[in-house]
Amino acid sequence: MSASPPRPPSSPPPRWPIPSNHWARRWRWRLAFAVVASIVAIAVIDPFAYRQTVGSPQPAALVTAPYSLPPNPELAVPERCASSATLLDRWLGAAGPEPSEFEVMLRYTIWLLLPLGLITVAALLWSWLLRRQVAQRTRQLQRELNERQQVEAALRESEARFRDVTEAASDWIWEMDENLRFTYLSERFYALTGIAPQYVIGRTRWGLADINTAADAQKWQRHREMLERRRPFRDFVYQTGLHGNRNEGRYLKVSGKPVHDAQGRFLGYRGTGTDITEQIKAEAALHESELRLRRIIDLVPHMIFARDRQGRFLLANHATADAYGLSVEELVNRKVPISGVYEETERMLADDREVIESGVSKLLAEETFTDHAGQVRTLQTFKIPFVVPGLNETAVLGVAIDITEQKRAKEEVARMRLYLRNIIDSMPSVLIGVDPWGYITVLNQPAEQAGGLSWEAAQGRFFGDVFPYLESQFEPVRQAIRLGRPIKTPRMTLDVQGELHYADVMVYPLMADSASGAVIRMDDVTARVRIESMMVQTEKMLSVGGLAAGMAHEINNPLGAILQGSQNILRRVAPDMPQNQAVAGAIGVDLERLHRYLEQRQILHFLEGIREAGARAAKIVADMLSFSRRSESRFAPVDLEDMLETVLRLAASDYDLKKKYDFKRIDIQRDYDPALRLVHCDKTEIEQVILNLLKNAAQAMAEEGVPTPTITLRTCREAEYALIEVIDNGPGMDEKTLKRIFEPFFTTKEVGAGTGLGLSVSYFIVTEQHNGRLAATSKPGQGARFSIRLPLTREPSP
Amino acid sequence: MNHWILIVDDETMIRENLKAYLEDEGWRVAAFEAVAPALAWLRTGGVCRVCIMDMRLPDMDGNSAIRILHQLYPDMKFLIHTGSSSYSLPEDLRAMGLDDRRVYHKPLSDMAPLAAAAGRLAAGEEAP
Repeated sequence: MSASPPRPPSSPPPRWPIPSNHWARRWRWRLAFAVVASIVAIAVIDPFAYRQTVGSPQPAALVTAPYSLPPNPELAVPERCASSATLLDRWLGAAGPEPSEFEVMLRYTIWLLLPLGLITVAALLWSWLLRRQVAQRTRQLQRELNERQQVEAALRESEARFRDVTEAASDWIWEMDENLRFTYLSERFYALTGIAPQYVIGRTRWGLADINTAADAQKWQRHREMLERRRPFRDFVYQTGLHGNRNEGRYLKVSGKPVHDAQGRFLGYRGTGTDITEQIKAEAALHESELRLRRIIDLVPHMIFARDRQGRFLLANHATADAYGLSVEELVNRKVPISGVYEETERMLADDREVIESGVSKLLAEETFTDHAGQVRTLQTFKIPFVVPGLNETAVLGVAIDITEQKRAKEEVARMRLYLRNIIDSMPSVLIGVDPWGYITVLNQPAEQAGGLSWEAAQGRFFGDVFPYLESQFEPVRQAIRLGRPIKTPRMTLDVQGELHYADVMVYPLMADSASGAVIRMDDVTARVRIESMMVQTEKMLSVGGLAAGMAHEINNPLGAILQGSQNILRRVAPDMPQNQAVAGAIGVDLERLHRYLEQRQILHFLEGIREAGARAAKIVADMLSFSRRSESRFAPVDLEDMLETVLRLAASDYDLKKKYDFKRIDIQRDYDPALRLVHCDKTEIEQVILNLLKNAAQAMAEEGVPTPTITLRTCREAEYALIEVIDNGPGMDEKTLKRIFEPFFTTKEVGAGTGLGLSVSYFIVTEQHNGRLAATSKPGQGARFSIRLPLTREPSP
Repeated sequence: MNHWILIVDDETMIRENLKAYLEDEGWRVAAFEAVAPALAWLRTGGVCRVCIMDMRLPDMDGNSAIRILHQLYPDMKFLIHTGSSSYSLPEDLRAMGLDDRRVYHKPLSDMAPLAAAAGRLAAGEEAP
């Protein structure tokens, strides 16, 4: 469009002004005043002087008067002036005396002046009239002139507008002659295409064309035919071979119609053309961009789609189409909504509608989707309302991410976590995970028990606060993390509620990607340490046993000499023995008196002491000899009930026992398992063990003076073991004693009452020789229970 | 009651104490510190039905001595009196009628059981 605005339809400035008649009016008034003044003066000086001035000549005034006077018969002829004075006299009568010379002169002047004044007035009047008419006409002419000017301006304006429009238009105008050669191109052509018109004028359109393909050629063929048939055409698009100043072929779009003269003769074509290169380039770019976009969305492994309210796909990428087992075109061109698993489809459409209706986007964190292959997938879908371009309808645009694997992985991780949690919980060790600053991150179940706090409660607390006895491990934790290797603290002694415990503590550094830290592993090895010390004792006992076995012969012979010697002495001083009496009689000794002497001097008592001491030494040696492994040759199936009864008889007849306690006073309760009879063991050894237990029980109850001493003998089968229990209602033991009773040479009996080896020998026999177990439970005042467990299945002795 | 009981033991006090006890019980006892003199005594006319045999002897071990004596005097009964804690009867001696009940371990704090057993054997009664 032209930059110049249309001119306002205003009238042109008045070039022909009406002349001011100001001056004329002034003169007129002055003249009129002069005339009136003259007449007044004449009238005042001599109104009747005409009578005295008859006959006086007035040549000048009479000459000019007839030309300016209105038609007045009296004044028309100057020669009649003299007679007019007479006339005046006749009309007016003679009056007064004859006038003087001056008066006559004056009269003539007045008469001269009067017509002059009248003529002047008349002339003035005429002039005024004339001027008025001229002004009127002038105004009329001016009006006409103005109108013409306005029309011209409008014309010019219209012309300018047209020119502006033509110049501003995106089209140019072209003309062709009857030979279809260009004859004219408007200026816009160059402006738009950059092609100078001289390259075009005189050539045909196809002469300018750039024909590259068969389709192009065909197109041109059709166009040429159309022109030759002289038909109008619209929107023919072609590419010129002319580059103009833009360095590229231009795409032109032309429309035209044939031109005929008044006689219907074909003169050529006229039409408009426009350069659509930019448009075509933009379209191509758009197309390219769309293709690129398409490629990108097809490349995306997630499902991208747009669906209308009815569930028809407006847009879908490869991933979406694949999920439905269709091609993208098939999916998008489907007229009916896709149908899959009914519930899923319904739910998806309901979600779509919700988004469409609310206009609010929606995230479905997890939804199931069964694809065409029947595989159930888990999708995370984000749906947003989407106005379909061109349709003015809201649809839903969705992106669905297949999180099946992710979910599986997550579940796997959760499962693994639980699994690992179970594993660490199943470990008997106390496991404490800490960060580099010693704050708890993980506790396993034993640790929760040991610390008395749940994992959740302990998390973030300093481990030394939860496990005060482990506080000393802070330095090892830091060291382990710094050095990157585990640090062991074996057999750390812990004071757990006043009790001495042993623990192996190991600090493992954790070397995860991001978080470093350490795991403190604590194993309570108190039991193991005790067993180990027991084993050490056992080893000691074994070496004692070996030593005893080696020297038993050497010791037993002198002991035999002592014991047998003292027995013979006692026998041979006894007064009631016939041999003694015979020998005494032969040498003249009173055996009775000798015996009294021996008694009074306590010789017999000392001898008895020697005998007992010898017997005790023999017992010790025998016990020591028990600490040696025996061959299994002595193992045989033994009837437990028979054996226990034998032991009870032995106990009742035991020399030592009988001497100090009355075993018969003890109430023996028998609780035998009838199903359990034969046990493979070394009968004499087990007898010794049970006898030892019975003797201990009887001794303890007798010492305490238990009113109704009771020993219960119980047998039963316990898994792979035959259980034999000896239960008393004696004074029992405190925990400290209980822990030490199996130690060799530990005894609660008065000095000399026992060897201190009884229970340790029993322990040795049961655990070492029979692979069994011997345990004691007791509490002060509540009796004691000794449990012997012998394996029912034979295992080779260690 | 005139039967002899033979004791072979190299430990003098054991030998003599046993001898004294058995003699007090009324038996005639021949006691030797080794096998050879015992065999010599038997060859020179010594007659006995019971032998209390130590195991560790200066000239040979008790088991061999029993085998020899058993060969020479098949009627002779044996009791074993040993200071060795790990002694166990060899099978061939068991075959001769010996068993664990005829094995006595030193030291004997009471000689009565051994004496009784020897007495029973000497009297021709079978051991219980």
